[in-house]
Amino acid sequence: MGVDRDYRCRVTKPEDFNEFWGLVLDELSSIELNVECEKDELRSDSEVTVYQIFYDSLDHVRISGWYSVPNTPVNRLPAILLVPGYQSDPPIPKDWSAKGYACLSVNPRGKVRSRSQFDPGYPGLLTHRIVDKNTYSYRGFYADAWRGIDFLLSRGEVDSERIGVAGSSQGGGLAITTSAMRKEIKAASAGAPYLCGFMDAIELTDTYPYQEINDYLRTYPDRLEEVESTLAYFDGISFADQIDCPIIVNLGLQDNVCPPETGYALFETIGSKDKKLFEYEGHGHEAGRYVHSGIMDQFFDKYLKG
Amino acid sequence: MSDNRPLDFGQFWYSLGKELSEVPIAAETETLTMRSTDFADLYGIHISSIGPYAIYGYLSIPKGDGPFPVIYYVPKNASVLEIIPQGTSNQIRSRYITFSLACRGMRTADSPYAAMYPGQLTEGIESFSSYLYRGVVADTLRGLDFLLTCPSIDKSSIVAWGNDNALLAGALHGAVTHIVSTPSFLYDTINQASRTSSYPLEEFNDYLRHNPERKGQISEILSYYDLRFHSSAITAESLIMADYDGGLFDKKTLRNLTENMNGAVTVHPSERSSYKDGMFCEKWITDKLFGKDATPIVPNHWKLE
Repeated sequence: MGVDRDYRCRVTKPEDFNEFWGLVLDELSSIELNVECEKDELRSDSEVTVYQIFYDSLDHVRISGWYSVPNTPVNRLPAILLVPGYQSDPPIPKDWSAKGYACLSVNPRGKVRSRSQFDPGYPGLLTHRIVDKNTYSYRGFYADAWRGIDFLLSRGEVDSERIGVAGSSQGGGLAITTSAMRKEIKAASAGAPYLCGFMDAIELTDTYPYQEINDYLRTYPDRLEEVESTLAYFDGISFADQIDCPIIVNLGLQDNVCPPETGYALFETIGSKDKKLFEYEGHGHEAGRYVHSGIMDQFFDKYLKG
Repeated sequence: MSDNRPLDFGQFWYSLGKELSEVPIAAETETLTMRSTDFADLYGIHISSIGPYAIYGYLSIPKGDGPFPVIYYVPKNASVLEIIPQGTSNQIRSRYITFSLACRGMRTADSPYAAMYPGQLTEGIESFSSYLYRGVVADTLRGLDFLLTCPSIDKSSIVAWGNDNALLAGALHGAVTHIVSTPSFLYDTINQASRTSSYPLEEFNDYLRHNPERKGQISEILSYYDLRFHSSAITAESLIMADYDGGLFDKKTLRNLTENMNGAVTVHPSERSSYKDGMFCEKWITDKLFGKDATPIVPNHWKLE
C-alpha cells in the first residue's frame, strides 16, 4: 500500500478566516517594532557577520533571532526569512549568508531565547489554549514569524523586492502561512510541511508532535469540536489559496512526522500558478534534503538573484 | 586535538564517579496523566546530580508485568527534552521502558543554568574544572543510576541511545548492555571541526577564532571526552550510525573508535534517508533484544512498503 496522492483533508476554511487574521495583523501593526541588533563577535567570521536581534511582536512579546549578512560589499542584498522546526533550536544561518543572502533565523515565542514571557514548553506548545482561537499559542507564534518580514524591511541593506521564506517541518508550515499573509514574499520553499491538515494528521500518524493533540483529546474528549474549530483557523491548508508567489514543496513519502497525505492536500490548495512539488520516495521527515537542497538553491537564485 | 590519551585519564573519570556516588539520587516522581495511554504510563522524574544540580527526565513504563527492556535516550545537544524522539512510534512505549533525560541547561533542567545552543559545548571550557561537559557526563551517568532503581527493568537489556553521550554512558557505566549512537562532536573534535563550518562543531571554530592561543589547552581538555580514548572500555553490543561515505563522521573516519571497542560493533553508513536509517536502527535493536523473528515497532508511514 502506498501513499494516497489524491488524499484530501477534512479542514474547512472558516468563513470569517480573513476577518480573524485581519484583526491580528491590525493589532500587530499597532505595535512598534522596537528593533535591537547587536553584532555577535563570537559567531561572526571572515565571510559572514552575525547579529543577535530582537523585536516586539503581538502582545508585546519580545522575539529574538539570528541575523546574518555576507561581508562582501554589495549595494542591496536578497533576503531569506528562515523559519524553525517544532522542537529544534533555530540555527545561526551563516550558510545562507555565505551564499549571498541577508538571512533572519527567527525564534518565535516559546523557543530558546524567546521564552521569558511565553513558554508552554515541549510537549505543550501545540495544544496550549487550543480551545480558543483568540488565545491559542499559534496566534502569536505565527505573528512572530510574519513580523520577521518587518525586521528585514527595516534593514537598509535588504532589497525589499527580493525577499523569500524557507523552512522545513514546522518551518514548512510557517513558510506556507507567511507567504500567504505577507505579499512582500517573492519566493517560498516549504519542506515536509507541519501544521497542515491537523485533524487528519493525528489519525494518520502515531508519533509526536501530533500525538500532543491526541493526548489532549484523550484527556478532554468533550472538547473535540472546539479543538477542530480552532485549528481550522491555523491550518496551513486554510491559508494556502492566498499564496500567489512562486513556491516549491518537498515531501518524503515515508515521512513519519508530517504525513505526506497532508502535504498532497496542501499542495493541491496552494493558489500560486507557479508551484512545483518534489516527492521523495524512500525518504522520511528529512524529505530528500540531500538532493533537495541543491534544488532550493537554484530556485532562490532564480527568483531572488536573477 | 591530542592524539594521546591523557596520563591521568582514568583518575579523571574515577574522580567524577566518586563525586557522583556521594550525591544521593533523591528521586521524586510525578504521574503525567495526559501523556499516559492505555499501553504505558508516563512519569516526570526529578533527580540530583553533581554540583549539586537538579535534573529531570520522562520515564515511560508499559502496562502489565515486567521486567521490560529499557531504552535510555541520553541527553542531547539541544534545548528540548522529548518523551521519545520525534518521529518514533508512540507504540514503542508498549514494549520498552523509555527514559529520556534533560542534562543541566536543557529545558526542565535549566535552573539555575539555561544553556544556549550553540554555546553548551564550549561553556566553561576555560579549565578542566569549569567545563560544563563534565557535569553533562555526570548527568548522563546519573540517569543510569536512577534506572537501576526501577523495579520493572530488565537489567540484561538496557540500551543507551543517542549522540556521543550514548557511547560515554557505555564506557563509564556498567549497566549499559547495548548502544545505538550517532557520533557528532566528541570524536577528534578540534580536527573534525576544522573540516566543517556547520554547528555544533562550528562552536569550537568560533571559540578558537577568538582565542587562538588556547588551542593547546582546549585540545587537552577535550581529550578526556574523546570517544577514541573511551573506546576500549565499551563492551556493550553497539550500533554506530556513521555519516555517508565521505561525510564528516563516516565509517572510515570513525575507525579509531569502532576498531578499538571491546563489544561487537555494527557500523551503518547513513543512506541519507531518515526513513532508511531509522528502519535499520529499529530492526537492529529488535533483532538484538527480541530475536530475528520479532517485528520492529515502526511509525505508520514506514509500514507502507
